[in-house]
Amino acid sequence: MAAGVRVRDLTVSFPTPDGPLPAVAGVSLDLARGQITGLVGESGSGKSTLALTLLNAVPAPGHVSSGSVLIDDVGDVLALRRAELRRARGAKIGYVFQASQNSLNPLKPVGKQLLDLGRSHGQRDLRAFLHTARLLMDEMGLDAERVLASYQHELSGGMRQRVGIALALVLNAHVLILDEPTTALDMLTQASVLAIIRKVHAERHLTTLVISHDMGVVGDLADRMAVMYAGRIVEEGPTAQVLADPRHPYTRGLLTSMPRITGEIKEARPLPGRVPDLASAPRQGCVFRPRCPLATDACATAEPPATVLGDRRFACYVAAGEAGAAA
Amino acid sequence: MIEGRSITRTFAARRGALGHRGVRALRGVDFTIPDRGAVSFIGESGCGKTTLGRILCGLEDFDGGDLIIAGQSMAGLRPGQRAPYHRRIQMIHQDPYSALNPTRTIGQILADPLTLRARQLDADRGRLDRGWLDRGWLDRGWLDKRRAELLGFVGLDPDYVLPRYPHMLSGGMRQRVVIARALTVDPEVLVADEAVSMIDVSLRLGILQLLRDLRETIGVSVLFITHDVATARYIGQGGRLYVIYRGAVVEHGDTDTVIQHPAHPYTQCLLSAVPVLQGIERPGPDRVVPTGPLDERSEPPGCLFEPRCPFAEEDCRAAPPELGQLGGTRQRHACLHPARRSVVAVPAGSGAA
Repeated sequence: MAAGVRVRDLTVSFPTPDGPLPAVAGVSLDLARGQITGLVGESGSGKSTLALTLLNAVPAPGHVSSGSVLIDDVGDVLALRRAELRRARGAKIGYVFQASQNSLNPLKPVGKQLLDLGRSHGQRDLRAFLHTARLLMDEMGLDAERVLASYQHELSGGMRQRVGIALALVLNAHVLILDEPTTALDMLTQASVLAIIRKVHAERHLTTLVISHDMGVVGDLADRMAVMYAGRIVEEGPTAQVLADPRHPYTRGLLTSMPRITGEIKEARPLPGRVPDLASAPRQGCVFRPRCPLATDACATAEPPATVLGDRRFACYVAAGEAGAAA
Repeated sequence: MIEGRSITRTFAARRGALGHRGVRALRGVDFTIPDRGAVSFIGESGCGKTTLGRILCGLEDFDGGDLIIAGQSMAGLRPGQRAPYHRRIQMIHQDPYSALNPTRTIGQILADPLTLRARQLDADRGRLDRGWLDRGWLDRGWLDKRRAELLGFVGLDPDYVLPRYPHMLSGGMRQRVVIARALTVDPEVLVADEAVSMIDVSLRLGILQLLRDLRETIGVSVLFITHDVATARYIGQGGRLYVIYRGAVVEHGDTDTVIQHPAHPYTQCLLSAVPVLQGIERPGPDRVVPTGPLDERSEPPGCLFEPRCPFAEEDCRAAPPELGQLGGTRQRHACLHPARRSVVAVPAGSGAA
């Protein structure tokens, strides 16, 4: 399977009073071309930082201390010069930011912001550019004329989110990154935004990354999913396989702690402990160890390497043992 | 027990456009919150569920109908006289990061309402000691004991939490502090408006289970306001669900019954919108999607949901349907053509579709 995006051994560090600490630690992840990859993790797990490195836009004082991010038709974004990077952002990589419902300029109608985007990316024929945008908005079930003339506050949350997606795609990006695309939307609006994402993804043959704290969103939408905890990808594989047969204790814990519409209420169990931050994550051994019901002495020694099993992988000594015993 | 009788609330429109009579946030809502009960209000943004919660807490006024708290009609009282009744209903705010004063320790945060409550209790017992009021402090032993007790109820260690500031606690712990603070004034009802949506996913269930346990341990009722139907299942046995659409109850009954066998097409839309987990669930075969977005300006003469309803018929446009058990359903609903549709996802392993 060809990869649209190939992240290799990526480490992003932030300086802290205790010295530099990694928000993303040695992450490797492929986004398969033409597929939707979901990235699940709780707040502070490093998923937004990881996504921002795809734009080479890690906010200071954070910096990429090692690794590479290869994107189809762009090259290693971490090695691009400023002007090349500017061209790649938007034209090759579309990014819908977290809380993008609130990231439109409140002082300008959407149409003006769209023209600003076109100008800053050197679109000579603005009329044609506007036409493309209208078609795209129609495709997403928006009334383009009304939306272009509206200010942000005149649009509903779901409409703003769709405008965000339209702005990310209007320059014909082939990689689309959505950071928490449905947070703060109610269920019905969420369902319609997910349907739109699915539609534009298929029609435009995109390589899509969806980041969410909500297992439901990723479980519904993504072809493949990766689970992130304290800056590491602890499990990755085809969504249906990961959900039906989760191997990492954190993935299992997330699933059983999730309020669901089906299934036994009695089987639901909250995950003990608390979500670590940069300072409280263990420096040695498995990062999930303090909350893990299966932790052994081996887990404290060194970070577990990824165990590859067919099309999937997970980083856990205990799960690796189980898989080895079964094989 | 708390009872709402045809509560209405209309907000004045900011722009005086022709014929615009303002936004009707609530159109005559009836509900009952039994003692130790669990009641959930479900609906999309803008349906009026938050307004209803605020009216219960006395943060918002209603302009029609009546609210009965402990047998007393609120409509018959002047706003100033209502406070002692609304004390029985306490709000748990959505965002535990902004609901706590960052410059005060948890100990201080809990001490203020406890001091007020102690004065109130003393006044009720007729033991008002003027000297005590002038000094402005009360028996330290009682305060410490009560704080420890409340933090124990919400599963926190008083020695750890009391001297700390909110920023030193995780989101889940902060939400527990918010709940403990609501309990300082001995409420009978906790109103939880989207109380878990800002909390880390792995800790949400813990808060839901805490609310469930508080019903048993200290006998409060819980009013749960959310757009996420799934969470309503986790606040315990005997829950009642009210599905609200544009300020009117469209379906109401036992939580499990409504989720398993929704009768109203709007409820069916809400349940169809719950994401399906690939590999362990299959989508319900009859999933329903509304035919269009919500238009708050439209005032259809018949059923409010008719303009978006895929199953609307001619008679739906004639007059607003009333809540009833048409079609012999166990729950009450306001649909002229209730039909059984399997909209909720089914476990992938099960044979029945």
